[in-house]
Amino acid sequence: MTTKRISTELFEKLVSLAALELTAEESAYLFEEMNHQLTSVEALSKIPLPEGTQPSLHGLDCLGSAPRLDEWQPFPNPKVIIALAPETENDMIVVPDVKGAK
Amino acid sequence: MNLTQLSAFETAQKIRSGEVKAIEIVQSALAQIKKVDGVSGSLEPGLLSPEEEKKVHAFIQLTEDLAIRQAEKVDWMIANGEEPGLLAGVPLSVKDIFCVEGTNTTAASKIIANFVPPYTATAVERLTAAGALVLGKVNLDEFTFGSSNESSAFQPATNNPWQTEYVPGGSSGGSAASVAAQEVALSLGTDTGGSIRQPAAFCGVVGMKPSYGRVSRLGLIAFASSLDCPGPVARDVRDAALMLQVMAGNDPKDSTSSTKPVDNYLAALEQDVKGLRIGLSPDYEALYYPDMESGELYSQPIQKEVHDAVLQAAEWLAKAGAEIIENVPLPNTRYGIPTYFVISRVEAASNLHRFDGVKYGYRTPEDVGDLIELYRRSRAEGFGLEPKLRILMGMYVSAAEHASAYYQKALKVRSMIRNDFDQVFDPHGEHQLDALLTPTTATTAFKRKAVYGNSVLMQYSDQMTVTSNHAGVPALTLPGGLDENGLPIGIQLIGNDFREDMILRIGNAYEQITADEAWRKVRPQVLQGEVIA
Amino acid sequence: MKDYEVIIGLETHIQLNTETKIFCSCKADSWEADPNTNICPVCSGLPGVLPVLNAEAVRKGAILAAAMHAHINPKSYFDRKNYFYPDLPKGYQISQFDEPIGKGGYMDLPMENGETRHVRIHNLHLEEDAGKTKTEHGMRLLDYNRCGVPLVEMVTEPDLRSGDEAAQYLIRLRQLLRWIGVSEADMERGHLRCDANVSIRERGSTILNTKTEIKNVNSIESVRQAIGEEAKRQIELVESGGKVESFTLDWDADSGKLKKMRSKETEADYRYFREPDLLPVVLTPEEIAQIQAGLPELPLARRERFEKDYQLSGYDAEILTSERSLSDYYENAVKAYAGEAKAVANWMMNDLSRMLNDLGKNADELNLKPDDLAEIITMVDQGKINAATGKNLLKKVEESGKSPAKIVEEENLGLIDDSDALRTQIEAILASAPDEVANFRAGKESLLGWFVGQVMRSSGGKADPKRTREILLDLLRKE
Repeated sequence: MTTKRISTELFEKLVSLAALELTAEESAYLFEEMNHQLTSVEALSKIPLPEGTQPSLHGLDCLGSAPRLDEWQPFPNPKVIIALAPETENDMIVVPDVKGAK
Repeated sequence: MNLTQLSAFETAQKIRSGEVKAIEIVQSALAQIKKVDGVSGSLEPGLLSPEEEKKVHAFIQLTEDLAIRQAEKVDWMIANGEEPGLLAGVPLSVKDIFCVEGTNTTAASKIIANFVPPYTATAVERLTAAGALVLGKVNLDEFTFGSSNESSAFQPATNNPWQTEYVPGGSSGGSAASVAAQEVALSLGTDTGGSIRQPAAFCGVVGMKPSYGRVSRLGLIAFASSLDCPGPVARDVRDAALMLQVMAGNDPKDSTSSTKPVDNYLAALEQDVKGLRIGLSPDYEALYYPDMESGELYSQPIQKEVHDAVLQAAEWLAKAGAEIIENVPLPNTRYGIPTYFVISRVEAASNLHRFDGVKYGYRTPEDVGDLIELYRRSRAEGFGLEPKLRILMGMYVSAAEHASAYYQKALKVRSMIRNDFDQVFDPHGEHQLDALLTPTTATTAFKRKAVYGNSVLMQYSDQMTVTSNHAGVPALTLPGGLDENGLPIGIQLIGNDFREDMILRIGNAYEQITADEAWRKVRPQVLQGEVIA
Repeated sequence: MKDYEVIIGLETHIQLNTETKIFCSCKADSWEADPNTNICPVCSGLPGVLPVLNAEAVRKGAILAAAMHAHINPKSYFDRKNYFYPDLPKGYQISQFDEPIGKGGYMDLPMENGETRHVRIHNLHLEEDAGKTKTEHGMRLLDYNRCGVPLVEMVTEPDLRSGDEAAQYLIRLRQLLRWIGVSEADMERGHLRCDANVSIRERGSTILNTKTEIKNVNSIESVRQAIGEEAKRQIELVESGGKVESFTLDWDADSGKLKKMRSKETEADYRYFREPDLLPVVLTPEEIAQIQAGLPELPLARRERFEKDYQLSGYDAEILTSERSLSDYYENAVKAYAGEAKAVANWMMNDLSRMLNDLGKNADELNLKPDDLAEIITMVDQGKINAATGKNLLKKVEESGKSPAKIVEEENLGLIDDSDALRTQIEAILASAPDEVANFRAGKESLLGWFVGQVMRSSGGKADPKRTREILLDLLRKE
């Protein structure tokens, strides 16, 4: 029996925030696995950090591409992008409205 | 001559000299695939006959027409005296996480099972521009989330060609297997925590994670943007070097891609290892696994044969003139996985927000009448369990109330992991290493279903590889022998930033030293009974 | 009823007038375009795509920060703001959270009562715009043309004290944005959007009470009205014993009413984290120095200077600094003109402005240059042409592109300067109108005007009115 790391209500809230819906079986499995992973993550909290340790956003110093010039380069075929959508109308993507929206 | 036995380097040579035609290469590759691969992975595999158990199932989709067109182009260029490229006629498979224009790019997920992108990933473009022939898209863990390929929505999942009841590793399982099974000479994979190296080790092939930013990520469906690295899977070091040579270099459309000039990797292979300082670290000789009750890390020894293989490799390299430095400390190695659980999940959850049933991919067929329901149903029905788990984990550790304790902390621990490498590679430091020699994985391949479902245990198979992702440094895995069950052992070389040349050089030397070793003559199960020309 | 103070802070979203979007090379402005024609895989959020920063968006953002006296951060960072919404294809917006491009700053707002409201700026940050949605029979239609357009979000401290002040702030901001050339700031095209945060407190108190947020105030008038309505509502609520709750309100311009949108408490946690696909935004000390040095004299500072240096009235100075090209034009004309700046001001505010309106041009688009204007005014001063001719010359120079002097010469527009010739002409006219001459001499001096008219007609308008009158009087009063 693992020590519970997060509560079921919080789990439900996360599921909602993540725009997911889970079956009871999935919920049970994922809840368990999340708690296991958090147990592993707990090791982080115990690590003493030397004074002045900075966060690393990338492992190495990215000597990356410079920002680009402000020059228009149209994508040759925007219709192809819209054609990927499951439902369109007059070249606009169609989705149901949010219930209770104005 | 059995064309599928040619390395990429040899293939290109024979194509350029006119000895072999590219179309013949395609045909021989397709024949091999037909022979060993079995059914391709699909969303509805149906009932499989027992023979399929012995097949590789590396592919999700064969791109025969594409390969033939490309081959015809190469042959035409040779016939007309035009330069066909360094990889002319080389058969290539592409992990189905790379967008290839006009072909299904599925990420092994139901949610984009029928997505046909209007553009091609830079890495793929460079390879095909150099004459490589794309034979097909190979299978992976769904969205690259996993270390066994088992989580793919496209079943049957890939099997290890050495012994098909074992996993090939993951997430680039299809890449490693397709190369090990001689279906292709090269494969383009991705490595975020070890996803090229671990399967390459399990499948007895060469795999490399280049430095972060060495190869463009444009067109790669993102998992963890600060960790993802496209890289080569090949049969030998020279082929890996050749493939990297073609792909590496700045891409202005990828802001994180490095502007550092690309070295001549093939030339680097010519150099010997005399005087090179190669380190061994006790922190890579054990697995640091958390106790599920207390969360405390306790150490477990790694598989003995793996440990021995590394020591043996050190001996050989020493004989060849390298200096082996023992007891090199990298004390933060053990925090690699916990840090990865946090950083990679935060980025993954965000990267997966765009799969919402609105613009492309899967949309729930239910008449939901509400947008939020549409999001929920589409994502619930489209994503498998592992993506769901990663999304939830990512959202939790980046939530406002926890971000400081988890996410911010993890970013700092990452600095410490990076610092370990800075210390050992510092030219004025205590160790002044040219490379680190470690096992690639703590164990050899495990059986199907043996680990799947235990997400923590599964993630820990990346403990030896994930640190180089955190630090951004390049790392190479090489076949280093077989265990007593005949499963491949991988040894790993880790180098300093943008020193792919160094680890390729050492890897090549190691390959040459071990060229006549008995274990190199053993063939994988699926290639048994094959005539060696 | 107690005496209440209204506390207002404004959040403005400013669309930068770069050529392309902030993270891809689609056009930044697609107001006229058909839906989903100005898109690419990056701004549509396809899988596998990556953002690439537009250097010009950074530069314009920095210019705005400098113009608002803000501190320009030499290193600022992009962050992801994660949430689900149909106009946000990636499911996150790339924005700047805790290390934005500009921090602090202010605008000293001149108010109608002569006082100045010091409006502090909290920060300025760069971000990408979302797409547009249209609701039609219970469905939403999505247009991504606007996704990725570069925006600067600028947030004030709660320093404004009325709907009028808020309106003034927007007017001045709009003027400034156009002045420094970073945005067209056309509110009707959504180049400048505004949300208002409103709270009240008893006068004399220094605490900040719960505020509401008003969204969708898309014109200067709307801002004024909506804030007024909300302040009224809050006061009434508090007076009747109620408590102001933190809500987001939507302003319906048609009905002039505020509607509750959603409670702020249930707003999503955006889980901000550094955008891993982008590198930090770096501005070198040289670049920052260049931007600071390259700032033009700003409108309010120039207005003050015009009042002082050119002795213009507040009203005149306001008009002559309302728009930069007009203002530069005025100053250049003054420099070319040897006389009083006020004279030039009159010409600018009347005839030149009229011409600009008629032609639909900006002052810097005219063929009639400031030098030309100065020349025309000078010629009138010197009596070389009369005022009416001068005014017509404006158009003639504009249309032909020739210099005023050249046109005067070619069309023989010069006033008849030669007194003898004029005298002869006048004598001829008097000779032809003996009755009128007699009447004048008999005492009907009002006939002078008639005589002047006659001279003008016969000279084709070229007679100098002053000389004409002199000579007429001279001749008429002679016996």
